[in-house]
Amino acid sequence: MHHADSLNGMDQTDKLDRTAVREAAGWLVRLHEERQNPQTLAALARWRASSEEHERAWQRAQLVNDKFGLIPAQLGMPVLGHASSSSRRRAIKALVLLMTFVPASYVAYRHSAWREWTADYATRTGERRSLSLNDGTELELNTDTALDVKFDAVQRLIRLHRGEVLIDTGADPRRADESFRPFWVQTRQGRIRALGTRFVVRRDHDITRVQVYDGAVEVQPANAGARQVIQAGQQLSFSAEAVQLPRPVDPHGADWARGLLVAQQMPLGEFIHELARYRPGLLRCDPAIVDLRISGAFQLDNTDQVLAALPATLPVQVVYRTRFWVSLTAA
Amino acid sequence: MTSSDSARQQCGALYVEHHRWLVGWLRYKLGCLHDAADLAQDTFVRVLSSRELQTEEPLQEPRAFLVTVAGRLVSNHFRRRSLEQAWLETLAALPPQQVPSPEVQTSLLQSLHEVDAMLDGLAPRVRQAFLLAQLEGCTYAQIAERLGISVRTVKRYMAEAYEQCIMLTL
Repeated sequence: MHHADSLNGMDQTDKLDRTAVREAAGWLVRLHEERQNPQTLAALARWRASSEEHERAWQRAQLVNDKFGLIPAQLGMPVLGHASSSSRRRAIKALVLLMTFVPASYVAYRHSAWREWTADYATRTGERRSLSLNDGTELELNTDTALDVKFDAVQRLIRLHRGEVLIDTGADPRRADESFRPFWVQTRQGRIRALGTRFVVRRDHDITRVQVYDGAVEVQPANAGARQVIQAGQQLSFSAEAVQLPRPVDPHGADWARGLLVAQQMPLGEFIHELARYRPGLLRCDPAIVDLRISGAFQLDNTDQVLAALPATLPVQVVYRTRFWVSLTAA
Repeated sequence: MTSSDSARQQCGALYVEHHRWLVGWLRYKLGCLHDAADLAQDTFVRVLSSRELQTEEPLQEPRAFLVTVAGRLVSNHFRRRSLEQAWLETLAALPPQQVPSPEVQTSLLQSLHEVDAMLDGLAPRVRQAFLLAQLEGCTYAQIAERLGISVRTVKRYMAEAYEQCIMLTL
Protein backbone atom coordinates (compact mmCIF):
# COMPACT_ATOMS: atom_id res chain seq x y z
CA MET A 1 0.00 0.00 0.00
CA HIS A 2 2.71 2.35 -1.01
CA HIS A 3 0.22 4.82 -2.30
CA ALA A 4 -1.76 5.10 0.90
CA ASP A 5 1.47 5.51 2.85
CA SER A 6 2.56 8.49 0.85
CA LEU A 7 -0.84 10.07 1.31
CA ASN A 8 -0.63 9.73 5.06
CA GLY A 9 2.78 11.31 4.86
CA MET A 10 1.37 14.24 2.96
CA ASP A 11 -1.34 14.71 5.53
CA GLN A 12 1.27 14.86 8.25
CA THR A 13 3.24 17.44 6.31
CA ASP A 14 0.15 19.55 6.10
CA LYS A 15 -0.23 19.41 9.83
CA LEU A 16 3.31 20.51 10.63
CA ASP A 17 3.35 23.97 12.04
CA ARG A 18 5.02 26.31 9.62
CA THR A 19 6.67 28.45 12.27
CA ALA A 20 8.00 25.39 14.06
CA VAL A 21 9.45 24.17 10.76
CA ARG A 22 11.17 27.47 10.19
CA GLU A 23 12.63 27.39 13.68
CA ALA A 24 13.73 23.77 13.30
CA ALA A 25 15.51 24.79 10.10
CA GLY A 26 17.23 27.53 12.07
CA TRP A 27 18.45 24.97 14.60
CA LEU A 28 19.84 22.77 11.87
CA VAL A 29 21.70 25.77 10.48
CA ARG A 30 23.23 26.47 13.89
CA LEU A 31 24.05 22.87 14.65
CA HIS A 32 26.07 22.48 11.48
CA GLU A 33 28.80 24.50 13.13
CA GLU A 34 27.97 24.18 16.82
CA ARG A 35 27.41 20.47 17.18
CA GLN A 36 29.85 20.31 20.09
CA ASN A 37 28.65 23.45 21.83
CA PRO A 38 26.91 22.47 25.07
CA GLN A 39 25.05 25.78 25.31
CA THR A 40 23.60 25.38 21.85
CA LEU A 41 22.58 21.80 22.62
CA ALA A 42 20.96 22.86 25.88
CA ALA A 43 19.07 25.66 24.15
CA LEU A 44 17.88 23.25 21.48
CA ALA A 45 16.69 20.81 24.16
CA ARG A 46 14.70 23.62 25.81
CA TRP A 47 13.15 24.61 22.50
CA ARG A 48 12.13 21.03 21.77
CA ALA A 49 10.64 20.54 25.20
CA SER A 50 8.67 23.78 25.08
CA SER A 51 6.00 22.55 22.67
CA GLU A 52 4.77 19.43 20.97
CA GLU A 53 4.86 21.21 17.62
CA HIS A 54 8.54 21.93 18.13
CA GLU A 55 9.32 18.33 18.90
CA ARG A 56 7.39 17.10 15.85
CA ALA A 57 9.14 19.56 13.57
CA TRP A 58 12.46 18.53 15.06
CA GLN A 59 11.82 14.84 14.46
CA ARG A 60 11.12 15.68 10.83
CA ALA A 61 14.16 17.91 10.62
CA GLN A 62 16.43 15.11 11.71
CA LEU A 63 15.17 12.94 8.89
CA VAL A 64 16.65 15.48 6.50
CA ASN A 65 20.13 14.97 7.87
CA ASP A 66 19.59 11.22 7.91
CA LYS A 67 18.70 11.27 4.24
CA PHE A 68 21.81 13.20 3.31
CA GLY A 69 23.91 11.00 5.55
CA LEU A 70 23.20 8.13 3.19
CA ILE A 71 25.07 9.76 0.35
CA PRO A 72 28.85 9.74 -0.01
CA ALA A 73 30.24 13.05 -1.19
CA GLN A 74 32.28 11.59 -4.00
CA LEU A 75 29.10 10.38 -5.70
CA GLY A 76 26.58 12.85 -4.33
CA MET A 77 28.28 16.03 -5.43
CA PRO A 78 28.57 15.28 -9.15
CA VAL A 79 25.16 13.60 -9.33
CA LEU A 80 23.12 16.08 -7.27
CA GLY A 81 25.04 18.96 -8.76
CA HIS A 82 23.49 18.01 -12.07
CA ALA A 83 21.06 20.42 -13.68
CA SER A 84 19.40 21.10 -16.96
CA SER A 85 22.15 23.53 -17.82
CA SER A 86 25.35 21.70 -18.61
CA SER A 87 27.47 24.76 -17.85
CA ARG A 88 26.31 24.61 -14.25
CA ARG A 89 27.16 20.97 -14.12
CA ARG A 90 30.65 21.74 -15.35
CA ALA A 91 31.02 24.49 -12.79
CA ILE A 92 30.10 22.12 -10.01
CA LYS A 93 32.44 19.45 -11.29
CA ALA A 94 35.24 22.00 -11.19
CA LEU A 95 34.19 22.94 -7.69
CA VAL A 96 34.31 19.34 -6.59
CA LEU A 97 37.83 19.02 -7.94
CA LEU A 98 38.87 22.03 -5.89
CA MET A 99 37.76 20.47 -2.67
CA THR A 100 40.71 18.94 -1.03
CA PHE A 101 39.63 18.42 2.51
CA VAL A 102 37.85 15.42 3.84
CA PRO A 103 34.17 15.42 4.68
CA ALA A 104 33.55 15.50 8.38
CA SER A 105 30.26 13.74 8.50
CA TYR A 106 29.81 10.56 6.66
CA VAL A 107 27.75 7.96 5.21
CA ALA A 108 25.56 5.14 6.20
CA TYR A 109 23.55 2.89 3.97
CA ARG A 110 20.15 1.70 4.96
CA HIS A 111 20.45 -1.67 3.28
CA SER A 112 21.80 -4.57 5.18
CA ALA A 113 24.17 -5.58 2.44
CA TRP A 114 26.97 -5.09 4.93
CA ARG A 115 28.36 -8.02 6.74
CA GLU A 116 28.11 -7.17 10.38
CA TRP A 117 31.00 -8.23 12.45
CA THR A 118 31.67 -7.94 16.14
CA ALA A 119 34.59 -9.69 17.76
CA ASP A 120 37.10 -9.36 20.57
CA TYR A 121 40.77 -10.06 20.16
CA ALA A 122 43.61 -10.09 22.65
CA THR A 123 47.24 -11.07 22.89
CA ARG A 124 49.18 -12.18 25.94
CA THR A 125 52.43 -10.56 26.99
CA GLY A 126 55.09 -11.51 24.48
CA GLU A 127 52.54 -12.67 21.92
CA ARG A 128 51.84 -11.06 18.58
CA ARG A 129 48.97 -11.87 16.30
CA SER A 130 47.95 -11.11 12.70
CA LEU A 131 44.32 -10.72 11.72
CA SER A 132 42.58 -10.21 8.41
CA LEU A 133 39.23 -8.47 8.74
CA ASN A 134 36.43 -9.06 6.29
CA ASP A 135 36.86 -5.69 4.61
CA GLY A 136 40.40 -6.53 3.59
CA THR A 137 42.01 -4.65 6.49
CA GLU A 138 45.05 -6.30 8.05
CA LEU A 139 45.68 -5.94 11.78
CA GLU A 140 48.83 -6.78 13.65
CA LEU A 141 48.34 -6.92 17.40
CA ASN A 142 51.43 -6.30 19.46
CA THR A 143 52.14 -7.77 22.89
CA ASP A 144 49.54 -7.45 25.65
CA THR A 145 46.89 -5.89 23.47
CA ALA A 146 43.11 -6.02 23.67
CA LEU A 147 40.73 -4.64 21.10
CA ASP A 148 37.31 -5.29 19.71
CA VAL A 149 36.12 -4.96 16.18
CA LYS A 150 32.66 -3.71 15.37
CA PHE A 151 31.68 -3.49 11.74
CA ASP A 152 28.15 -2.52 10.85
CA ALA A 153 26.24 -0.67 8.19
CA VAL A 154 27.44 2.70 9.41
CA GLN A 155 31.09 2.33 10.19
CA ARG A 156 34.09 0.16 10.80
CA LEU A 157 35.11 0.65 14.40
CA ILE A 158 38.05 -0.74 16.31
CA ARG A 159 38.18 -0.08 20.03
CA LEU A 160 41.68 -0.36 21.38
CA HIS A 161 41.46 -1.12 25.09
CA ARG A 162 45.17 -1.58 25.67
CA GLY A 163 48.38 -2.26 23.84
CA GLU A 164 49.34 -1.47 20.29
CA VAL A 165 48.05 -2.29 16.84
CA LEU A 166 49.33 -1.84 13.31
CA ILE A 167 46.49 -1.23 10.91
CA ASP A 168 46.68 -1.56 7.17
CA THR A 169 43.41 -0.62 5.54
CA GLY A 170 44.88 -1.44 2.16
CA ALA A 171 42.35 -1.02 -0.62
CA ASP A 172 41.06 -4.38 -1.61
CA PRO A 173 39.69 -4.02 -5.16
CA ARG A 174 37.07 -6.68 -4.46
CA ARG A 175 35.72 -4.57 -1.64
CA ALA A 176 35.07 -1.24 -3.28
CA ASP A 177 32.03 -0.61 -1.10
CA GLU A 178 34.19 -0.51 1.99
CA SER A 179 35.73 2.76 0.99
CA PHE A 180 32.33 4.31 1.72
CA ARG A 181 32.27 3.22 5.34
CA PRO A 182 34.49 5.28 7.63
CA PHE A 183 37.16 3.43 9.55
CA TRP A 184 37.64 4.52 13.17
CA VAL A 185 39.96 3.53 15.96
CA GLN A 186 38.67 4.49 19.37
CA THR A 187 40.71 4.76 22.54
CA ARG A 188 39.82 6.28 25.86
CA GLN A 189 41.61 9.43 24.74
CA GLY A 190 39.64 9.94 21.55
CA ARG A 191 39.03 8.79 18.03
CA ILE A 192 41.29 8.31 15.07
CA ARG A 193 39.85 8.22 11.63
CA ALA A 194 41.78 6.39 8.93
CA LEU A 195 41.93 8.47 5.81
CA GLY A 196 44.68 6.36 4.37
CA THR A 197 46.18 3.05 4.76
CA ARG A 198 48.93 2.14 7.23
CA PHE A 199 49.34 3.37 10.78
CA VAL A 200 50.13 2.28 14.32
CA VAL A 201 48.04 3.14 17.35
CA ARG A 202 49.47 2.58 20.79
CA ARG A 203 47.97 3.15 24.21
CA ASP A 204 50.21 4.17 27.03
CA HIS A 205 48.43 5.12 30.27
CA ASP A 206 46.63 8.41 29.54
CA ILE A 207 48.17 8.88 26.13
CA THR A 208 47.42 7.48 22.72
CA ARG A 209 50.23 7.60 20.20
CA VAL A 210 49.63 7.45 16.46
CA GLN A 211 52.30 6.82 13.86
CA VAL A 212 51.36 7.11 10.20
CA TYR A 213 53.34 5.26 7.54
CA ASP A 214 51.01 5.58 4.55
CA GLY A 215 48.09 7.84 3.77
CA ALA A 216 46.77 9.98 6.60
CA VAL A 217 44.61 9.84 9.71
CA GLU A 218 42.57 12.41 11.59
CA VAL A 219 42.69 12.57 15.38
CA GLN A 220 39.80 13.80 17.51
CA PRO A 221 40.50 13.93 21.26
CA ALA A 222 37.54 12.88 23.38
CA ASN A 223 37.13 16.13 25.31
CA ALA A 224 38.45 18.71 22.88
CA GLY A 225 36.94 20.13 19.74
CA ALA A 226 40.23 20.18 17.89
CA ARG A 227 40.99 17.84 15.07
CA GLN A 228 44.39 17.16 13.73
CA VAL A 229 45.30 15.42 10.52
CA ILE A 230 48.50 13.37 10.64
CA GLN A 231 50.14 12.76 7.30
CA ALA A 232 52.34 9.85 6.29
CA GLY A 233 55.76 10.19 7.88
CA GLN A 234 54.39 11.90 10.99
CA GLN A 235 53.48 10.80 14.47
CA LEU A 236 51.88 12.44 17.46
CA SER A 237 50.51 11.69 20.88
CA PHE A 238 47.25 12.92 22.29
CA SER A 239 45.36 12.88 25.55
CA ALA A 240 41.64 13.23 25.99
CA GLU A 241 42.15 16.99 26.25
CA ALA A 242 44.92 17.91 23.85
CA VAL A 243 46.84 16.98 20.74
CA GLN A 244 50.59 17.43 20.39
CA LEU A 245 52.08 18.87 17.27
CA PRO A 246 53.07 16.21 14.73
CA ARG A 247 56.70 15.08 14.71
CA PRO A 248 58.58 12.95 12.21
CA VAL A 249 57.64 9.32 12.58
CA ASP A 250 60.07 6.81 14.07
CA PRO A 251 61.19 4.85 10.99
CA HIS A 252 61.38 1.71 13.13
CA GLY A 253 58.12 2.28 14.98
CA ALA A 254 56.38 -0.59 13.20
CA ASP A 255 59.27 -3.03 13.20
CA TRP A 256 57.73 -4.94 16.08
CA ALA A 257 55.28 -6.27 13.55
CA ARG A 258 58.28 -8.07 12.02
CA GLY A 259 59.38 -9.25 15.45
CA LEU A 260 62.16 -6.69 15.84
CA LEU A 261 63.03 -3.98 18.30
CA VAL A 262 65.37 -1.65 16.47
CA ALA A 263 67.38 0.78 18.59
CA GLN A 264 69.55 3.59 17.32
CA GLN A 265 71.46 5.22 20.14
CA MET A 266 68.45 4.56 22.33
CA PRO A 267 68.79 5.34 26.07
CA LEU A 268 69.02 2.01 27.91
CA GLY A 269 66.16 2.93 30.24
CA GLU A 270 63.84 3.41 27.30
CA PHE A 271 65.11 0.23 25.68
CA ILE A 272 64.41 -1.82 28.80
CA HIS A 273 60.99 -0.21 29.16
CA GLU A 274 60.21 -1.33 25.59
CA LEU A 275 61.63 -4.79 26.09
CA ALA A 276 59.61 -5.20 29.30
CA ARG A 277 56.41 -4.95 27.28
CA TYR A 278 57.24 -8.26 25.67
CA ARG A 279 58.05 -10.15 28.88
CA PRO A 280 55.76 -11.36 31.62
CA GLY A 281 56.86 -10.33 35.10
CA LEU A 282 59.16 -7.54 36.17
CA LEU A 283 62.10 -6.15 34.26
CA ARG A 284 63.88 -3.35 36.11
CA CYS A 285 66.70 -1.08 35.15
CA ASP A 286 69.03 0.51 37.74
CA PRO A 287 68.64 4.32 37.47
CA ALA A 288 72.43 4.63 37.39
CA ILE A 289 72.59 3.09 33.91
CA VAL A 290 69.44 4.36 32.20
CA ASP A 291 71.39 6.86 30.11
CA LEU A 292 73.73 4.36 28.52
CA ARG A 293 73.12 4.17 24.76
CA ILE A 294 72.28 1.04 22.85
CA SER A 295 72.01 0.27 19.14
CA GLY A 296 71.01 -2.85 17.25
CA ALA A 297 68.14 -4.97 15.99
CA PHE A 298 66.81 -7.29 18.69
CA GLN A 299 64.53 -10.32 18.33
CA LEU A 300 61.37 -9.81 20.35
CA ASP A 301 60.52 -13.49 20.34
CA ASN A 302 63.40 -14.29 22.64
CA THR A 303 63.89 -11.54 25.15
CA ASP A 304 65.97 -13.78 27.46
CA GLN A 305 68.52 -14.05 24.70
CA VAL A 306 68.48 -10.28 24.21
CA LEU A 307 69.10 -9.74 27.92
CA ALA A 308 71.86 -12.31 27.99
CA ALA A 309 73.65 -10.54 25.14
CA LEU A 310 73.64 -7.09 26.77
CA PRO A 311 76.75 -7.51 28.97
CA ALA A 312 78.78 -8.23 25.84
CA THR A 313 78.31 -4.66 24.58
CA LEU A 314 77.47 -2.61 27.69
CA PRO A 315 78.89 -2.38 31.20
CA VAL A 316 75.86 -4.03 32.78
CA GLN A 317 74.89 -7.27 34.43
CA VAL A 318 71.61 -9.13 34.37
CA VAL A 319 70.36 -10.41 37.71
CA TYR A 320 67.61 -13.05 37.66
CA ARG A 321 65.82 -13.20 41.04
CA THR A 322 63.31 -15.53 39.36
CA ARG A 323 62.47 -15.97 35.70
CA PHE A 324 59.82 -13.28 36.18
CA TRP A 325 61.86 -10.83 38.19
CA VAL A 326 64.91 -9.56 36.41
CA SER A 327 67.06 -6.54 37.18
CA LEU A 328 69.66 -4.82 35.09
CA THR A 329 72.43 -3.25 37.17
CA ALA A 330 75.81 -1.64 36.61
CA ALA A 331 78.54 -4.23 36.10
CA MET B 1 -22.72 7.45 -1.31
CA THR B 2 -19.42 7.91 0.51
CA SER B 3 -16.90 10.42 -0.73
CA SER B 4 -14.52 7.72 -1.91
CA ASP B 5 -17.28 6.08 -3.94
CA SER B 6 -17.94 9.41 -5.49
CA ALA B 7 -14.24 9.86 -6.25
CA ARG B 8 -14.07 6.47 -7.89
CA GLN B 9 -17.08 7.22 -10.01
CA GLN B 10 -15.80 10.60 -11.11
CA CYS B 11 -12.38 9.17 -11.84
CA GLY B 12 -13.95 6.43 -13.93
CA ALA B 13 -15.79 9.03 -15.96
CA LEU B 14 -12.61 11.07 -16.39
CA TYR B 15 -10.77 7.99 -17.53
CA VAL B 16 -13.32 7.04 -20.14
CA GLU B 17 -13.59 10.55 -21.55
CA HIS B 18 -10.04 11.85 -21.33
CA HIS B 19 -7.56 8.98 -21.07
CA ARG B 20 -6.80 8.81 -24.77
CA TRP B 21 -6.46 12.58 -24.96
CA LEU B 22 -4.13 12.61 -21.93
CA VAL B 23 -1.87 9.94 -23.43
CA GLY B 24 -1.65 12.07 -26.58
CA TRP B 25 -0.75 15.17 -24.55
CA LEU B 26 1.90 13.26 -22.57
CA ARG B 27 3.33 11.70 -25.70
CA TYR B 28 3.76 15.19 -27.13
CA LYS B 29 5.56 16.29 -23.93
CA LEU B 30 7.69 13.19 -23.51
CA GLY B 31 8.24 12.07 -27.08
CA CYS B 32 7.68 8.46 -26.14
CA LEU B 33 4.45 6.49 -26.21
CA HIS B 34 5.63 4.02 -23.62
CA ASP B 35 6.49 6.69 -21.03
CA ALA B 36 3.29 8.52 -21.91
CA ALA B 37 1.16 5.46 -21.17
CA ASP B 38 2.95 4.95 -17.85
CA LEU B 39 2.54 8.54 -16.74
CA ALA B 40 -1.10 8.61 -17.80
CA GLN B 41 -1.65 5.63 -15.53
CA ASP B 42 0.16 7.40 -12.68
CA THR B 43 -1.90 10.51 -13.30
CA PHE B 44 -5.16 8.65 -12.80
CA VAL B 45 -3.83 6.97 -9.66
CA ARG B 46 -3.07 10.43 -8.27
CA VAL B 47 -6.43 11.77 -9.39
CA LEU B 48 -8.24 8.94 -7.64
CA SER B 49 -6.78 10.01 -4.31
CA SER B 50 -6.86 13.75 -4.78
CA ARG B 51 -9.04 16.05 -2.72
CA GLU B 52 -10.71 17.66 -5.68
CA LEU B 53 -12.66 14.46 -6.22
CA GLN B 54 -13.77 14.04 -2.63
CA THR B 55 -16.95 16.07 -3.31
CA GLU B 56 -19.88 15.19 -5.47
CA GLU B 57 -19.53 18.32 -7.56
CA PRO B 58 -18.38 17.50 -11.09
CA LEU B 59 -15.07 19.05 -12.15
CA GLN B 60 -15.41 22.32 -14.02
CA GLU B 61 -12.32 21.95 -16.17
CA PRO B 62 -11.46 18.27 -16.26
CA ARG B 63 -8.63 18.58 -18.81
CA ALA B 64 -7.00 21.50 -17.02
CA PHE B 65 -7.13 19.47 -13.83
CA LEU B 66 -5.58 16.43 -15.51
CA VAL B 67 -2.85 18.58 -17.05
CA THR B 68 -1.98 20.05 -13.66
CA VAL B 69 -1.56 16.62 -12.13
CA ALA B 70 0.19 15.16 -15.17
CA GLY B 71 2.44 18.21 -15.51
CA ARG B 72 3.88 17.61 -12.06
CA LEU B 73 4.57 14.02 -13.01
CA VAL B 74 6.24 15.13 -16.24
CA SER B 75 8.63 17.48 -14.48
CA ASN B 76 9.32 14.75 -11.96
CA HIS B 77 10.03 12.39 -14.82
CA PHE B 78 12.54 14.76 -16.41
CA ARG B 79 14.20 15.42 -13.09
CA ARG B 80 14.63 11.72 -12.48
CA ARG B 81 15.96 11.16 -15.96
CA SER B 82 18.47 13.98 -15.65
CA LEU B 83 19.61 12.63 -12.28
CA GLU B 84 19.98 9.14 -13.70
CA GLN B 85 22.02 10.53 -16.57
CA ALA B 86 24.35 12.35 -14.15
CA TRP B 87 24.54 9.19 -12.04
CA LEU B 88 25.64 7.07 -15.00
CA GLU B 89 28.20 9.68 -16.01
CA THR B 90 29.59 9.76 -12.49
CA LEU B 91 29.79 5.99 -12.24
CA ALA B 92 31.51 5.81 -15.61
CA ALA B 93 34.13 8.30 -14.41
CA LEU B 94 34.99 6.27 -11.29
CA PRO B 95 38.06 4.07 -11.30
CA PRO B 96 36.82 0.47 -11.73
CA GLN B 97 37.90 -0.59 -8.26
CA GLN B 98 35.80 2.19 -6.71
CA VAL B 99 32.55 1.32 -8.44
CA PRO B 100 30.04 0.20 -5.81
CA SER B 101 28.35 -3.17 -6.09
CA PRO B 102 24.97 -3.31 -7.90
CA GLU B 103 23.25 -3.70 -4.53
CA VAL B 104 24.79 -0.52 -3.19
CA GLN B 105 24.19 1.28 -6.47
CA THR B 106 20.48 0.58 -6.23
CA SER B 107 20.18 1.91 -2.70
CA LEU B 108 22.37 4.91 -3.44
CA LEU B 109 20.37 5.86 -6.49
CA GLN B 110 17.18 5.61 -4.46
CA SER B 111 18.63 7.94 -1.81
CA LEU B 112 19.80 10.33 -4.49
CA HIS B 113 16.31 10.47 -5.98
CA GLU B 114 14.78 11.22 -2.61
CA VAL B 115 17.26 13.96 -1.86
CA ASP B 116 16.98 15.41 -5.35
CA ALA B 117 13.22 15.60 -4.94
CA MET B 118 13.63 17.48 -1.65
CA LEU B 119 15.93 20.00 -3.31
CA ASP B 120 13.68 20.46 -6.33
CA GLY B 121 12.97 24.08 -7.11
CA LEU B 122 15.69 25.61 -4.96
CA ALA B 123 17.76 28.31 -6.64
CA PRO B 124 21.03 26.89 -8.01
CA ARG B 125 23.19 28.81 -5.52
CA VAL B 126 21.06 27.73 -2.58
CA ARG B 127 21.30 24.15 -3.74
CA GLN B 128 25.02 24.43 -4.23
CA ALA B 129 25.66 25.92 -0.80
CA PHE B 130 23.47 23.30 0.81
CA LEU B 131 25.20 20.41 -0.95
CA LEU B 132 28.62 21.73 0.03
CA ALA B 133 27.54 21.80 3.65
CA GLN B 134 25.67 18.52 3.69
CA LEU B 135 27.85 16.33 1.51
CA GLU B 136 31.30 17.83 1.81
CA GLY B 137 30.96 18.98 5.40
CA CYS B 138 32.13 22.49 4.45
CA THR B 139 31.95 25.18 7.11
CA TYR B 140 29.91 28.25 6.29
CA ALA B 141 33.10 30.28 5.99
CA GLN B 142 34.44 27.82 3.42
CA ILE B 143 31.20 27.90 1.46
CA ALA B 144 31.17 31.68 1.55
CA GLU B 145 34.68 31.78 0.17
CA ARG B 146 34.01 29.25 -2.56
CA LEU B 147 30.83 30.89 -3.76
CA GLY B 148 32.04 34.43 -3.24
CA ILE B 149 29.18 35.38 -0.92
CA SER B 150 28.94 36.41 2.73
CA VAL B 151 28.59 33.97 5.61
CA ARG B 152 25.26 35.59 6.41
CA THR B 153 24.02 34.77 2.94
CA VAL B 154 25.24 31.20 3.30
CA LYS B 155 23.24 30.87 6.51
CA ARG B 156 20.18 32.31 4.84
CA TYR B 157 20.55 29.82 1.98
CA MET B 158 20.97 26.98 4.44
CA ALA B 159 17.84 27.97 6.36
CA GLU B 160 15.84 28.19 3.15
CA ALA B 161 17.02 24.78 1.95
CA TYR B 162 16.47 23.14 5.33
CA GLU B 163 12.99 24.56 5.55
CA GLN B 164 12.02 23.17 2.18
CA CYS B 165 13.62 19.80 2.95
CA ILE B 166 11.77 19.51 6.25
CA MET B 167 8.48 20.26 4.50
CA LEU B 168 9.16 17.72 1.77
CA THR B 169 10.62 14.91 3.84
CA LEU B 170 8.21 12.05 4.13
